[in-house]
Amino acid sequence: MKEFMLLIRNKVDHLSHLSPEENQQFLQACMDYIDRLTKNGNLKSAQPLVKEGKIISGSKDAWKDGPFNESKEVIVGYYHILANNMEEAVDIAKGNPEFAYTSTARIEVRPIKMREESTGFTYPGKK
Amino acid sequence: MNGKPGINALADHLFRHECGKLVSALTGIFGPEHLQLAEDVVQDSLVEAISHWSYEGAPDNPAAWLFRVAKNKAINIVNREKYKKRYVLETASAGQYGWTEPTPKHIFSRQQILDDQLRMIFTCCHPSISVDSQIALALKTLCGFSISEIARAFLTTEETLNKRLVRARQKIREARIPFEVPRGTELEGRVKAVLETIYLLFNEGYSASEGNDIIRHDLCEEAIRLAEIMERHPAIEDKSDVYALLALMQLNASRFNARQDKEGNLLTLAEQDRSLWDKDLIAKGISNLKKSIVGIYVSVYQVLATISAHHSTAPDLETTDWKSILSLYDSLVQLDSSPLVLLNRAIAKSKVTGAGPALAELDGLKDNLVLKEYHLYYSTRAELNMQLGQYSDALNSLETAVRLATLDAEKKLIRKRIGFCQEKMSQLQPTPEK
Repeated sequence: MKEFMLLIRNKVDHLSHLSPEENQQFLQACMDYIDRLTKNGNLKSAQPLVKEGKIISGSKDAWKDGPFNESKEVIVGYYHILANNMEEAVDIAKGNPEFAYTSTARIEVRPIKMREESTGFTYPGKK
Repeated sequence: MNGKPGINALADHLFRHECGKLVSALTGIFGPEHLQLAEDVVQDSLVEAISHWSYEGAPDNPAAWLFRVAKNKAINIVNREKYKKRYVLETASAGQYGWTEPTPKHIFSRQQILDDQLRMIFTCCHPSISVDSQIALALKTLCGFSISEIARAFLTTEETLNKRLVRARQKIREARIPFEVPRGTELEGRVKAVLETIYLLFNEGYSASEGNDIIRHDLCEEAIRLAEIMERHPAIEDKSDVYALLALMQLNASRFNARQDKEGNLLTLAEQDRSLWDKDLIAKGISNLKKSIVGIYVSVYQVLATISAHHSTAPDLETTDWKSILSLYDSLVQLDSSPLVLLNRAIAKSKVTGAGPALAELDGLKDNLVLKEYHLYYSTRAELNMQLGQYSDALNSLETAVRLATLDAEKKLIRKRIGFCQEKMSQLQPTPEK
């Protein structure tokens, strides 16, 4: 199995149009989704990201924080998953309830590079 | 991730109900003039919680977590306002914020929440707010529905509904409607008014036959829940009417799932599959009906609930105790002679005395201005006509009924009876000689 990072992008206020009842249905769908991935051995970890943070740019003596655009989309969380190939990873991403409950979700599916095919170099950070 | 196996299903309507409690509790802190703020803080807290739990799974006690988030937000707001107020005072102009300092130990205690919910019921159902707005406001604040959900339930637009809510909140501010349970002599009258609103909310869900069935069922459930809050609270000493209304709603709601067939057609009592009636609700209804009996006082709710109980406990339509039901309708007419009561009384009478005398009584009502325009008057007549074999009279009545009926499900039911009537007539007609 290969590792993939699913970066979940959505609007900052992507859940605020949902009623309490819809929020509950969304949550239940997410819990079922996570449960399914766990049972199938697809899930390594999944975490939400706090929507306020810092974007650092510049260089020594000229650090900048930002710019931010509040109305724009942010990365609201990530799933670190295992899949046999890109196609399977995309299928897993498509099953994310963010798509069913919000119309503004975008998920970036990125394979995690573990080994350079040409040189055989293995990236650190993995046992 | 909490790594629990996938059995952590959330309780039905958990967040909707918890949000209702929270809006009440926060209104207790901010004051009813800041109702919108309370609603916003609750929505923010919910979104914050869900955006975490959608990755990590809900904790064991999501309600407690949600309450903690909301409490922290509330304390921050109050502190900010206190600071502002001090600043205003120091600059020598008197501020008039009504913020109550939350005492962290007591806010969100079980009793405090029940108190606040009851206060909220009386604030939402204040007589100076129009009844339509009372219902909308109660659904939004106490029951945790969103504007679009309420709009769907009432078959209206979100814009209309939002205006209704804005007006209601404005009324609360302008009329300085307090966030409190009325006391002394005022209480009795206000309880009656609240119960009327709750009963209207229930009927909104129970009688309308169009729109989303699930939402309508929820309206009935919420009406019962609000009445239960009143039933649980010691501030209301005389609970006879509360018990009686609860009984009536529970007994009627017990038939909710049997009232329509799979295609959504309405079914009469005779056609309903009685095994689908909710036996738990019937038992609760009967127990509340018993509790409602105090001295010789009789209320409309009590009589209606007793009639409903007779139906709920009868094995079928024919063995129903129609004699008792008729005498209940006789006493009901004294309290409330609305068209529906008169018609239902006629049906009960026909079961006791036969269709003839019942039809004669309905004849006597034919100049009643409301009944004249009421489709059920004509379909009731038609049913009695059919029992007497008067199919052509029945057909005439049914055709008037279908013209007056407004809801599709009702029209459908009447057309079914027209078909039945025509079939009978063709069977009875002598075959023409060849």
